[in-house]
Amino acid sequence: MANMAVSRIKREFKEVMRSEEIVQCSIKIELVNDSWTELRGEIAGPPDTPYEGGKFVLEIKVPETYPFNPPKVRFITRIWHPNISSVTGAICLDILKDNWAAAMTLRTVLLSLQALLAAAEPDDPQDAVVAYQFKDKYDLFLQTAKHWTNAYAGGPHTFPDCDSKIQRLKDMGIDEHDARAVLSKENWNLEKATECLFS
Amino acid sequence: MDSDNDNDFCDNVDSGNVSSGDDGDDDFGMEVDLPSSAERQLDADDYQYKVLTTDEIVQHQREIIDDVNLVLKLPTPIMRILLNQFKWDREKLLEKYFDGNIEEFFKDAHVINPFNKAPEAIRQKTTRSQCEECEICFSLLPPDSMTGLECAHRFCLSCWREYLTTKIVAEGLGQTISCAAHGCDILVDDVTVTKLVQDARVRVKYQQLITNSFVECNQLLRWCPSVDCTYAVKVPYAESRRVLCKCGHVFCFACGENWHDPVRCRWLKKWIKKCDDDSETSNWIAANTKECPKCSVTIEKDGGCNHMVCKNQNCKYEFCWVCLSTWEPHGSSWYNCNRYDEDEAKSARDAQEKLRSSLARYLHYYNRYMNHMQSMKFENKLYASVKQKMEEMQQHNMSWIEVQFLKKAVDILCRCRQTLMYTYVFAYYLKKNNQSMIFEDNQKDLESATETLSEYLERDITSENLADIKQKVQDKYRYCEKRCSVLLKHVHEGYDTDWWDYTE
Repeated sequence: MANMAVSRIKREFKEVMRSEEIVQCSIKIELVNDSWTELRGEIAGPPDTPYEGGKFVLEIKVPETYPFNPPKVRFITRIWHPNISSVTGAICLDILKDNWAAAMTLRTVLLSLQALLAAAEPDDPQDAVVAYQFKDKYDLFLQTAKHWTNAYAGGPHTFPDCDSKIQRLKDMGIDEHDARAVLSKENWNLEKATECLFS
Repeated sequence: MDSDNDNDFCDNVDSGNVSSGDDGDDDFGMEVDLPSSAERQLDADDYQYKVLTTDEIVQHQREIIDDVNLVLKLPTPIMRILLNQFKWDREKLLEKYFDGNIEEFFKDAHVINPFNKAPEAIRQKTTRSQCEECEICFSLLPPDSMTGLECAHRFCLSCWREYLTTKIVAEGLGQTISCAAHGCDILVDDVTVTKLVQDARVRVKYQQLITNSFVECNQLLRWCPSVDCTYAVKVPYAESRRVLCKCGHVFCFACGENWHDPVRCRWLKKWIKKCDDDSETSNWIAANTKECPKCSVTIEKDGGCNHMVCKNQNCKYEFCWVCLSTWEPHGSSWYNCNRYDEDEAKSARDAQEKLRSSLARYLHYYNRYMNHMQSMKFENKLYASVKQKMEEMQQHNMSWIEVQFLKKAVDILCRCRQTLMYTYVFAYYLKKNNQSMIFEDNQKDLESATETLSEYLERDITSENLADIKQKVQDKYRYCEKRCSVLLKHVHEGYDTDWWDYTE
């Protein structure tokens, strides 16, 4: 069983390495240990999205029963997206759950995740706060997502306003990540964020 | 030994078409005199149900498939998938088949249209010249180690085996396993599964899964809800009816609960839910406590003084327990509580009063319901003591047939208890009207008669004068039986003529 999982992963690894996406640097994959059960993936934020220019690292765990059960994938890089938890990086994607098919590969998983970044589904959210912002205050969502891409994934867009608000909270002794998360959640309303943190 | 004989007799009755459990142990002609009882008997005879073993269920599946195939003449595995999609309703399947678009029909059922099969097969043959790569394990294999469904997605045999095993064992899928290819929803038929899966345990599990889904989606079948019972009951039409399983369990076919005449499934379900969840706990809190008018903390009064001081350290509000307004104006002359009629306090009290009376009402019915349930459990112990008594009596010059009245009496006692228990559920949801008062009188009568019978069997049975006991017990159980059927008949008449109004 495990044998099949390992031989599959080896093959898929080669497949990804040979694929044209690698050449274009849009996806990447590397080994974490020698047992082939844990891998590290990386996808580039798709163009014309708030994630453009960012590099997102993924944790991929291959179960014993692979490929008959899906790999367990989660974002290590923090990301602001309705279908991805801003806290844990857990992903809500059908092919990683019920719609997994044995004939799918790591390459298709990575490409599907890239597609998910380009086309969020706020009606089926993993992170309700983000989904609400996406539906209710889309401009603010774009700004927040770009800011997070800049802060965690090396994206190009900076927002001095956001940075200064985070700095204000940092001055009060708040951890930078916590400050960013609370401000994002409270639609960058410094007063509400402070209230939320100190009440 | 005696009771064993009796059981054998019952079993013989059960193995054919069972009508109702009542007729297995009748040994006296009294029932003929009771029109209601006779009518019920007749009614029950109409309802020909069968208790099936697992093998008989499998056999029954085959019969249905063959039956439909007399008309459609499709391969058996395909027929099975189709029937499963239509919840084993042949009429619906045939109607759909002859009614609409055949292509659509097979597509909706996730089956490749068997009439288009031939060209597909040819196409496969031509491409099957050299080694193929299995998309799951990526191994290059000769064509004979590859296989696939009619959808032409081919994988190697060992991958298929693993795939099916995972689906069956880990995910518990039976008839609804689809092709392993991504996005392909064509279903895997049972013949293919049995061909590909060699492991006996997995095969058994698969068989269980498809049998189970057959019973669960078939409206005319229901598993016996009794613990560890593997029988299913098959009925001619689905309705709330008393059915007796071969394991001895008696239940309602429609809802699977213990047989609950006179209350209907819907109300019983509501009742069980009400008893199970905590709604009554919160009712108790609402009825026996008040909230501090200022900080809303819940307070239970534990002393006589009506001058309340809220224990919440941030509140410490002083108020009057009776009128719920501030204590200040009450002063020393509390009994002239001048705020007594104030509207706001009054409405608060009214609301509380209402909750209290609804709680009292619920508890009234619940206590009686539980009480009969409890008694019924004890009554089951009675069988043992009665059996002993019967043996004893036989040593005192009474024949076997002469002492059977005792067992019959306990049977009737249990049946009356069960009926009484459910009359309280019925009564709880019943609105008061003239008919409901008649019902309550019937209930009262049956209840007191049942209690007397119970008393005879528990205590007076020990007395020495056997002939006397026999007379007393027989008279009483006949009376109970009669009252029970009168009560049920009255309720059913009410159902038929819409007498009953409900509170919810």
